[in-house]
Amino acid sequence: MGRLTKGHLVEAAIWLSIVAVFYAYSFEFNQVIEIYIFGATAWPRTVLFLLLLATLGNLYHQYKNGSDAQGGIFGAAADDVSASIFQDRKTLIRMGLVLLIPFAFAFLLRPVGIYFSAPFFIAAIMLLFGERRWKAILIMTVVIYIIFIGLFLVILNAQLPQGNVSPFYDFSAWMLKMNTQLRELF
Amino acid sequence: MIDNFLAGTYALFGDPVTIGIFLFGVIGGMLFGAIPGVSMLTLAAILLPFTAGLEPAQGVMLFAVLYCTGTYGGAITAILFNIPGSPENAPTSFDGYPMTQQGKAGKAVGAAVLCSAIGGVSSALVMMAATEPLANWAIRNIGPPEIFALVFFGLAVASSVGARTIWKGWMSVLIGLLIATIGQDPVGGINRYNFGYIDLAAGIAFVPAILGFFAVSEIFVQAEKKATGKYNAPKVSMSFPSFLELWRHKLAVLRSILVGFFCGILPGIGATLAAFMGYGEAVRWSKNKDEFGKGKLEGVISSETANNAATGAAMIPLLALGLPGGALTAMMVAVFQMHDLQPGPLVFMLSPDLIWIVFAAMFWANLSILIIGVIETKTILNLLKIPFQFLAPLILMLATVGAYSGRGLVLDVMVMFIAGILGYVLRRSGFSIPGIVLGLILGKIGEQNFAQGMQMVHYDLGTYFSRPICTILIVAGVLTLGTSAYRAFASHKKPV
Repeated sequence: MGRLTKGHLVEAAIWLSIVAVFYAYSFEFNQVIEIYIFGATAWPRTVLFLLLLATLGNLYHQYKNGSDAQGGIFGAAADDVSASIFQDRKTLIRMGLVLLIPFAFAFLLRPVGIYFSAPFFIAAIMLLFGERRWKAILIMTVVIYIIFIGLFLVILNAQLPQGNVSPFYDFSAWMLKMNTQLRELF
Repeated sequence: MIDNFLAGTYALFGDPVTIGIFLFGVIGGMLFGAIPGVSMLTLAAILLPFTAGLEPAQGVMLFAVLYCTGTYGGAITAILFNIPGSPENAPTSFDGYPMTQQGKAGKAVGAAVLCSAIGGVSSALVMMAATEPLANWAIRNIGPPEIFALVFFGLAVASSVGARTIWKGWMSVLIGLLIATIGQDPVGGINRYNFGYIDLAAGIAFVPAILGFFAVSEIFVQAEKKATGKYNAPKVSMSFPSFLELWRHKLAVLRSILVGFFCGILPGIGATLAAFMGYGEAVRWSKNKDEFGKGKLEGVISSETANNAATGAAMIPLLALGLPGGALTAMMVAVFQMHDLQPGPLVFMLSPDLIWIVFAAMFWANLSILIIGVIETKTILNLLKIPFQFLAPLILMLATVGAYSGRGLVLDVMVMFIAGILGYVLRRSGFSIPGIVLGLILGKIGEQNFAQGMQMVHYDLGTYFSRPICTILIVAGVLTLGTSAYRAFASHKKPV
């Protein structure tokens, strides 16, 4: 096993699976292009072949050197991240929520719209970042919501997702109506 | 030329409405570039419909000014938060962010202000003097094989910076290239990798992907540091670099101006590649290579000079040939079309006034970075004093709007958050996020130009390599890959 760890093997397995899935799927669009003899698959398959070589090379490097960084690489990320989150269940759950909540927010944008969901999302992120003073959460949620509405709705009049489910859609419509009335004042 | 420039300047500052639009562009570009989570592209996408109500010269000028000042503004977030405002600022974060962590944010931002202005002004001057002859030269000498060769060279440079190992550097670029294959193929329009999802036929829009990889993943990294108690608030400092410190890097500035201008002039390449190559060349010529990536001022200077030097040059293919060099210049084509104009050789004959207002505006916008940039920077530096738990939701909200505003699709917001999660995981594993992003941006351009080049030379590699510029760039790319591999294998020491 050399200096290989379980993490290295999982990483290699993921990349090899991606290469395999993308290669298999490339037969779906393996069509002839009359003006181009290499067709639509040559480029992606070349990229996949090179990715396969690089993955195997990376695995060999990890076999010999473990996770050690190589010399001669410049500007490597200065992130001081470690595997410690996997040892502490509470931290792991918190990180899981940090990753999931933005995705849930994005998923809810279509039915609920941004005007209604934004304050809850803002407060949730603050909470997950460790803020526990409810007054601070409340005040900063209002401040950020006002900045967001002021900049994008009032000043720039940007088109944002309004939702398509009642009563969320009605709330967005009310916000837009208020904005129109505000604009008419000036 | 001077008469035309003065006439353009007079037209620019002789009308209060045009002055107002110019100032809006200067401040808006800097501000949106400098707010983490949004970029000049967000503002440009929102403003695009409104330009229909402006005079053609005002509309095009606004976008040209946004391009100059937004390119600079993105450096601030790259330095202060490790969140590049746009891809062209990604290499700035390699050394800029470590400088912030060392309490030298003021020095890094000060260097970015000055070098962006120097790069931009030099580029604007060359653009004014040489647009027509350079366009003629480019028409004769630059074709798809040369553009493909430059893409190859740029990707070779990008693969050797930013990752923990050379293998992961190459994998990063290849992951970007693979993501770029999603959507229609650029030759036959055949759908690839849409997995039955119709919205993916248009491909992965790069603005949401970039926001995800840079901004959202950085939020996740900071969240982890908070959760594990490793978060250290960045140190605020207002000390700008001295004239002597900057004078020491005069050669780096000059080299980056040349690199930036060369990259900018080639259609489809733009400022992003310029910044990577400016940084890569700085490393290549430096006697202290080991110091790069650890907070070296020269790293910030090189990438910021190069990306702003590309802004003026990017106008040459746009105005002379009608070919946009990036997302913002593509929006400028839309502004032209909204006013029944078509950028290209004819625009010089039919609308010389418009051209010279744009040239003058770009010159003055780059110069104004020096004055307004310093004032704005001192204000923006105070953002570092805001606790991150309050800044994070603001950045995520702005990024959501930034992702959505481009095409008005919720899918793009999802793509952004998926890219954020992917970016976070890949960063933990030592991959290079800038490498992925550059692969994503240049993937389609590279494939399209490779295909066109092959068709041009009738699939004969001998003819392909008989083109000197193409051969030089391909050889340079191979040498770059070879030397980075040699250095990596020759030394098994700790990261540099």
